[in-house]
Amino acid sequence: MIPFSREEREWFLRNLARGLVEYYRTSEPPVAVEEMLNQPPPVYDADFGVVDMYSSLWDATFARPPTHRGSIFVRIDLAPEDRRYALAREMLSALITSKHGRAMGLSDLLLPHLRDSAEYFARYLLVPDDLLQAYRNQGGMNHGFAEHFQIPAGVGAVRWADD
Amino acid sequence: MSMQALNQLVARSIVDPTIVKAFSAGQVDEVISGLEFAPELRLRIGELEAGSWTEFAMLAYRVVKAAEEPVRRIELPSPAEGLGDDQERTGKEQVA
Repeated sequence: MIPFSREEREWFLRNLARGLVEYYRTSEPPVAVEEMLNQPPPVYDADFGVVDMYSSLWDATFARPPTHRGSIFVRIDLAPEDRRYALAREMLSALITSKHGRAMGLSDLLLPHLRDSAEYFARYLLVPDDLLQAYRNQGGMNHGFAEHFQIPAGVGAVRWADD
Repeated sequence: MSMQALNQLVARSIVDPTIVKAFSAGQVDEVISGLEFAPELRLRIGELEAGSWTEFAMLAYRVVKAAEEPVRRIELPSPAEGLGDDQERTGKEQVA
């Protein structure tokens, strides 16, 4: 694949997130990330799932056993906003390794920078541009931003600064 | 407008398999038909060669972005103005 810049990769990731948000007609926060995984668009029907687990190793991780449905294994004791972010982040792996994601050729672009891409994708999935703009138009400030979108404070600080 | 159309196309492709199928079948013109691209831009996008839908989208982004960047004009002062300013400035610098 032809090499692409970070700016180009981020443009692509923003649109992937936007496609999902628009599909679910999300018009106000919080973005229902768990609903997206449990009731995915038809093209991902056999590719997504969420499994709660007791572990202190990770917050969440995606796994797809050969010939089986892929699932995000998420720690059961996470705070709600941490859980939402972890699920959104791991959703990118679910997309990349899905049948449709492979047909799109997502892996060539995103796997070499998976962690960075997944975190960027999660920020835009949980805080889409349109909802952020609406929040700002209504006088929303940095203070209270993370709570409004139900995301971890650190993630909110980065997303606020993304624009 | 062209970038908005491309954004919309890429966003839709993550949930709509018909876009990727049409691309894989070599029907790029069908994929971009109905989108608001200028004729020349549509032609250039239709001629892109890519190994995957993702690569195509990224190359299309480059094409559209380049087309939307403002044309840089070289603005030269009129000879009379330029000369006058220079003379005046030169004069002041000499006085200083």
